[in-house]
Amino acid sequence: MHVVVVGAGEVGYHVADRLVGLQHDVVVVDVEPRRLEYVANHLDVAVVEGSGTSMATLEEAGIQKAALLLAVTNVDEVNLVTCMSAREVEALTTVARVSNPTFYRDARNLRPAAFGVDVLINPERELALETVRLLKTTAATDVAVFAGGAVQLLGLMVAPGAPVAGRRLVDLAAEHGDRPILTVAVERDGATIVPRGDTEIRVGDHLFVATKAGEVATALELVGYQPATVRRVMVTGGSTEAYYLSHLLQQHRVQTTLLIEDRQRAQDLAEELDKVLVLHGDATDVELLELEGVGGADGFVALTEHDEINILSSLVAKRAGARQVITLVNKRDYIPLARHIGLDAAVSPRLSAANAILRHVRRGSVTRVATFEGSDAEAIAFTVSPASPIAGKSLAEAGIPAGAIVAAIVRGTEVVVPRGHDRIEVGDSVVVFTLPEAAQAVSEYFPA
Amino acid sequence: MNLREVLHVIGALLMWTAGAMLLPTVYAAGEGLFVPWMAASLGTAVLGLGLWRLTPREIRINPREGVAIVGLGWIAIVLAGAVPFIVTGTAPTVAGAVFESVSGFTTTGATIFPIIEDLPRSILLWRSISHWLGGMGIIVLGVAILPLLGMGGAQLFHAEAPGIPSDRLRPRIASTARLLWGVYALLTAMLAGLYLLLDMDVFEAVNHAMSCLATGGFSTRTASMGAFSAVTQWVTMLFMIVAGTNFTLHYRVLSGRLGAWVRDEEWRWYVGSMAVAWAMVFVALGVSRGGWGADAAREAMFNVTAVHTTTGFATADFGLWPAFAQVILLGLMFMGAMGGSTGGGFKSVRTGVVLKHVAGEIRKVLHPRAVVVTKLGGRAVRPEVLHNVLAFLALYVVTHGIGTLLLAAMGEDLVTALSASLAAMSSIGPGLGEVGPASHYGNLGSAAHLVLSLLMLLGRLEFYTLLVLVFPSTWASWGGTE
Repeated sequence: MHVVVVGAGEVGYHVADRLVGLQHDVVVVDVEPRRLEYVANHLDVAVVEGSGTSMATLEEAGIQKAALLLAVTNVDEVNLVTCMSAREVEALTTVARVSNPTFYRDARNLRPAAFGVDVLINPERELALETVRLLKTTAATDVAVFAGGAVQLLGLMVAPGAPVAGRRLVDLAAEHGDRPILTVAVERDGATIVPRGDTEIRVGDHLFVATKAGEVATALELVGYQPATVRRVMVTGGSTEAYYLSHLLQQHRVQTTLLIEDRQRAQDLAEELDKVLVLHGDATDVELLELEGVGGADGFVALTEHDEINILSSLVAKRAGARQVITLVNKRDYIPLARHIGLDAAVSPRLSAANAILRHVRRGSVTRVATFEGSDAEAIAFTVSPASPIAGKSLAEAGIPAGAIVAAIVRGTEVVVPRGHDRIEVGDSVVVFTLPEAAQAVSEYFPA
Repeated sequence: MNLREVLHVIGALLMWTAGAMLLPTVYAAGEGLFVPWMAASLGTAVLGLGLWRLTPREIRINPREGVAIVGLGWIAIVLAGAVPFIVTGTAPTVAGAVFESVSGFTTTGATIFPIIEDLPRSILLWRSISHWLGGMGIIVLGVAILPLLGMGGAQLFHAEAPGIPSDRLRPRIASTARLLWGVYALLTAMLAGLYLLLDMDVFEAVNHAMSCLATGGFSTRTASMGAFSAVTQWVTMLFMIVAGTNFTLHYRVLSGRLGAWVRDEEWRWYVGSMAVAWAMVFVALGVSRGGWGADAAREAMFNVTAVHTTTGFATADFGLWPAFAQVILLGLMFMGAMGGSTGGGFKSVRTGVVLKHVAGEIRKVLHPRAVVVTKLGGRAVRPEVLHNVLAFLALYVVTHGIGTLLLAAMGEDLVTALSASLAAMSSIGPGLGEVGPASHYGNLGSAAHLVLSLLMLLGRLEFYTLLVLVFPSTWASWGGTE
């Protein structure tokens, strides 16, 4: 598939990287030669200098043969006009990144069809939604939901004293066999493996667990956490992500404190957010954080634009006793570090954007894709077609390739977290957790 | 300031007033008062015409001139309005006549006359007309229909109908003023019609309708609304609430947006405080009398509404109510009606903004770094507006204090001095003590009448418009063109 990516910023770069990995032909367009040079040096893509709002530039990038146009600059209006320019091109799916909350405040503001936009993505809001999911599951490092939330894929760190610590999966299965909880991956010492029955779980392991929505609390207890409700959350940063998150928390009636360093931005957001206590101050001001009761907070979310400030303030919050600390980290290299120094979960705008876009990129039988921070593994939801070689077979018969595992089977409203004897039928939605080496083999099992 | 241009407009305003004086002459002839009425009207007209002709026709109204026109214009109008009371021999003193005229135009409704039924009909009608003209604003009316005021209309509009600037109904101020006056006239006609269907004759219906929509309070009966049936009182109560509501909302509702009232935050405060006051007074009356009948409910609701909307009709002597209920009335006298209504007082919107601001300050004590925003209808109140409101509060309190002090110096008792000055500033009418609803202001001396007249004008024009007149810088570049 030929893909044109307009915008070589963080989001554009990362999406292009993922698309190349999926064997697509990618052309990156940007007005800034230096950014293009960086992209060209690091990724196997073609680059075109110019504005996506110019049809000439788009044609140079091969828009006529493209199946997908991703307008992901950090200027909403440029993205919209880019899609508008290309609206005449046939058989082209256009994706525009639009982040400004004003556009979404009123349904009359943004009518994608009027701009020739097929899909709108809002990475900042996606990130805020993901953060809310993390806060809801208290101890999770990652949360991906499928089938409208009925299937949950959680990343969990095994806490000291956890009931599962030191046990083999096969023993656990015998003990908790009636529970629809399935360990799909174990990340240990920087490597992710799909476990076997004799894999022993240790304290400090990063588990990926598939479960039904109703069993999240059980899963948390097994890895050593007490389920709890979220009443009070402190957020730092004046970013768009911080706005969306505070807005969502306000809607969930969570008592929210928002700490912003910029005076004017603090004033603006205080006007926007009725029920949020907006403070003007430095996110690393230990005295202020303590005065505002960070120690007793159920959650602390660091969303400033600077990774270093986010990590530092998260450490302060964790030390002061905040129950769960979520940190926005842009730089990939910082993510393992953040986990190593004891921060609970990391979120990244880059990844949120990629997830939002990739969901629309994979066509055919794929309905949803989730990727995880700090890991190359993916969870993909497929719809089983009659052409599938495993339709009508049980999992034991199907012979799922090594490095992949079926995490859930969704049949209508029924969710099965499967074992070997469960069958896959035509029309089912199947969630597969796969390591990169098995991805190609898995996709052959689920033709369109 | 260009005084000559100001006088030009004031000349026009006086001619207007003279024209309005012609209306009561319909009744004057039958009462043997035709000559005095014509003299009053002609005298005012000649004075107005003189000022009009002797000053330049080209006018340019800057903010300073706008304020001066409204401030001086109102003084000229109320003085002219006092003339009929003098020349017909109804008012015992000149100060009394001025008081009655100011009370009329400022829609206060306080009267010096002990027995209203003894007054000639022409005078009764003039009192109601003065209410009606002053209610929506005689200068706003000028802006609405006099093209010559079109230039500086916005300044005039805001100087006469100040408060917190609300949305214009139309981009042009003259069109906005026309719509507001149109709504006002329509509602007045509706109420007059209802009164006719109930128990009033044409004369009484027209008078009471004008008085009610202006939140005035002058009646044609000594017993005020107490002279009419229960149904009439309920209807009056409803229209008092309407008159105390921002007329911009009425326009929206009349043009089909039925939710305009409920969506307005100030309206919710206004109706909310009204309902709370109803309940508290009803309970206070019930407890003190041991009775909870429908009549007691009507008595509590009507008089609370009359005070809250700053109308000042009465159906009972609330001077006899328990002190708890009277204190509630004093609170309502202070607060008054909505901004943009014909009512007076500190206004619901300002009360709400001040209370929200206070809540924000308390929040700041708990969270020293909190960024606190005072909001009104979902929008932040700009700091300038907030400062203006706080300064207005200070002015209100200080002016009330000075007024009370002056009346006490003239020998009035504490309750009378306190309530009379408050009732004057907030354009209520009846106060408590010597000036309660069962009594009148006729027993006060001329000095007290003048003090109260000044308080009424200050309250009606919301201080700034009059106060700037005593600042020397207002008069700088006297007669110049700058």
